Amino acid sequence: MSDIILFAHPTFGVFGILAAVWLLVEVLNASETNRARIRSASYAVAICIVLAALLGGYWYTVYYGAEKAIIVKGPWPWAHNFVMETKEHLFFIPLILALYLPIVSAQNLARNKASRLVTMTVAAFVVLNGLAIEGGGAIINYGVKVAFVHTGIKGAE
Amino acid sequence: MSNLEANAAGRSQVDGATAAFGLAAAITILFNTLLAWVKDAYDPLNTFMASLTGHHWRTHGIADVIVFLVLGFVFLSQGVKLDGVRLAVYLAGSCIIAGGGLALWFVLV
Repeated sequence: MSDIILFAHPTFGVFGILAAVWLLVEVLNASETNRARIRSASYAVAICIVLAALLGGYWYTVYYGAEKAIIVKGPWPWAHNFVMETKEHLFFIPLILALYLPIVSAQNLARNKASRLVTMTVAAFVVLNGLAIEGGGAIINYGVKVAFVHTGIKGAE
Repeated sequence: MSNLEANAAGRSQVDGATAAFGLAAAITILFNTLLAWVKDAYDPLNTFMASLTGHHWRTHGIADVIVFLVLGFVFLSQGVKLDGVRLAVYLAGSCIIAGGGLALWFVLV
């Protein structure tokens, strides 16, 4: 079960990033005809990022302790000390931005250039933060792997 | 002010909820980094936050969401007005400063 949660966390993160790109494209082409799609995309970002936060948060608070102990004893302790410590707090930035998006997109963005600019800025930072966090997750995962390889446990490689 | 100027002015401003919750988001993002610094530097706060929900990270996240919502509704009730460019700069600036601040802190500490 913990593996399902572990893999669902970055999966919803990627869905959130993709939804933010979708939102960016819709807002760049904002008109009366795509108002519903703009709202759908903004809600998709919010739902996916909230799910990524809940799943990742549950896994982090319940299961991560054992992996942390392995990482800090391995050759890449910075995978926890720097990457995870930064990632776990950085995650709250796209979470807040994602919660904000449905509020902005409730406006008629086709008629409001200022709200379009704000929406595109927020969506762009969800994408940038999301990509950084996904990359961080990969490094943390590799931090566990190199720790196992370092110990010479058979099959770890 | 002509109708054209009024329309132009209207287009440059975001609506009340966008301004209020946008400003709240920018402040919350900075608050998030500040709280991460303080709890990392001051163990009793970390322990206290952990005692509230079972883990300091859960309390941190809940605190962020509460700050965002409370500030948003406070700014909304005060009728905060902002133009779109300024709000976008606040949001982008807060993300860059807060993200860079987190990374720098955990590199140095």
